[in-house]
Amino acid sequence: MSPAIVLESVSKRYGSKTIIHDLSFTVARGEIVGFLGPNGAGKTTTMRMIAGVTAATSGRVTVAGYDMATQNTDAARQIGYLPEHPPLYDTLSVSAYLRFVAKVKGVDRAALPVELERVTTACRLEAVVRHEVYKLSRGYRQRLGLAQALLGKPDVLLLDEPTAGLDPGQIQETREVMRSFGAEHAVLLSTHILPEATLICHRVAIINRGRLLAIDSPRGLERAVEQTNRVRLRVTAPAQSLREELLSLDGVNAVEIHASPGDHDVLSVECQVDAREGVEARIARAVASRWDLHGLERQAPTLENVFLKYVKDAPVERETA
Amino acid sequence: MSGTLAVYHKELSTYFRSPIAYFVVAVFLLGTGYFFLYNIFLTGDATMAETFQNMGVLLLTLIPVISMRLFSAEYSARTMELLLALPLEPWQIVLGKYVGAVTMLLLMTAGTLIDLVPLYLFGNPETLTILSGYIGFVLLGMACLAVGQFFSSLTQNQIVAALITASVLLGFWFVGHLQSFQTSYALRSLSGYLSFALHFADFIRGLVRTEGVTFYLVVCATALTLNASYLQWRR
Repeated sequence: MSPAIVLESVSKRYGSKTIIHDLSFTVARGEIVGFLGPNGAGKTTTMRMIAGVTAATSGRVTVAGYDMATQNTDAARQIGYLPEHPPLYDTLSVSAYLRFVAKVKGVDRAALPVELERVTTACRLEAVVRHEVYKLSRGYRQRLGLAQALLGKPDVLLLDEPTAGLDPGQIQETREVMRSFGAEHAVLLSTHILPEATLICHRVAIINRGRLLAIDSPRGLERAVEQTNRVRLRVTAPAQSLREELLSLDGVNAVEIHASPGDHDVLSVECQVDAREGVEARIARAVASRWDLHGLERQAPTLENVFLKYVKDAPVERETA
Repeated sequence: MSGTLAVYHKELSTYFRSPIAYFVVAVFLLGTGYFFLYNIFLTGDATMAETFQNMGVLLLTLIPVISMRLFSAEYSARTMELLLALPLEPWQIVLGKYVGAVTMLLLMTAGTLIDLVPLYLFGNPETLTILSGYIGFVLLGMACLAVGQFFSSLTQNQIVAALITASVLLGFWFVGHLQSFQTSYALRSLSGYLSFALHFADFIRGLVRTEGVTFYLVVCATALTLNASYLQWRR
């Protein structure tokens, strides 16, 4: 079966400004792909192109086998889209709003009550079904936006920052919804919250300035940047001899020594080390045999480091008119 | 079709939950009632002719208030994002909204029927002339709404949409007055043909002419087509 979302060399220009450069990736059914990037990276524009809200300037976007340039209405039946700001009608009640979206998505009149029940339960909206939308709190608005996207059991779910504005409990529930939905369908979610991507995404795409910098599993991305491993230690020792000792060890590439704030006897040391196992044990042995070692920790690469590395390392280029 | 219908139902429930709609209907009915009484007592004739004339001008000032929110509010509330992502063609969005607005127009028009009660009780009015006036009034309203809806789709600022619509509608209303300044026959005919007021005057006199009906319908069709094309182009 072909992937549910396919982007082939997609670009988007507004006037002379290119927002998205030659973007290509796919999202398969049963896969949750996280979209990471700083503000203004082009995440929302990409989401909007996949959702059919705006058209690509060049390249091809295919969703559920439909070309978004020519068959976007057919494709729209297979897409659930939650934009950055939940698109709600304040004057309608929650149930009237959901009924409107369901009708447009072609949910059968007979199946309507069951379908509404399904999404209100999944998004925990039972308590507010009769409320008017303008009275809802931020968390409920966000969840109503998600409920709207789930209506009609779409093949593809596009979620732009779905957990923004939710409290920790609601975030947990929303992740469960995404996870269970992602088991059979394709989910593309953009997020600022890196642990979220690590927790629920099968793959993560990092984009910046409209370009795809990397796409891989969170673990794969972390492995790729493992050379940035660091070991931190706190030691009471003369700075000069400590530096010489550390640099003489196999696997230690660079050493930075600072005085610990508030505790002048203790030095705070940061070593840049190889990705190999056992470097920290060697450091611990060498230091502890001569001086007082108060603490040692190895910083494993986190997605946050990965993200920062990619985003920082991306070449800055000028827009060409 | 079901998409258009769903948009239509959503539009209607939006109207009935918005204070602006009630305000517009109230102002229109009060205004019409006032003009009706004034004209009846002034002329003593059992006719709606003067009242229709006044209703036309009243309509021209109130239509922008109805039409301004049609698309501008969708842009500013970011709900346009939803409409564009749903399985709806631009023309379905345009049509659903337009038919909703025309329903409001028909309700407003139906409200003025109460003025006919004293007319028939105490006088002997010409039913066909009144009917023709009402047909003209509804056609005029439909054309104005279509123009207003188009301008609403161009901006997310409702006030700007209302001001542009009001200016354009006033232009169409008064363009007939330019006739007297034109020496060339073509320009005279054109400014007469484009005039909302002159066509409406025919209907008030009891003349339902193909030319007038066609004119209003062409204005509707043009504005709505531009509206849908603009949405498509914006994508």
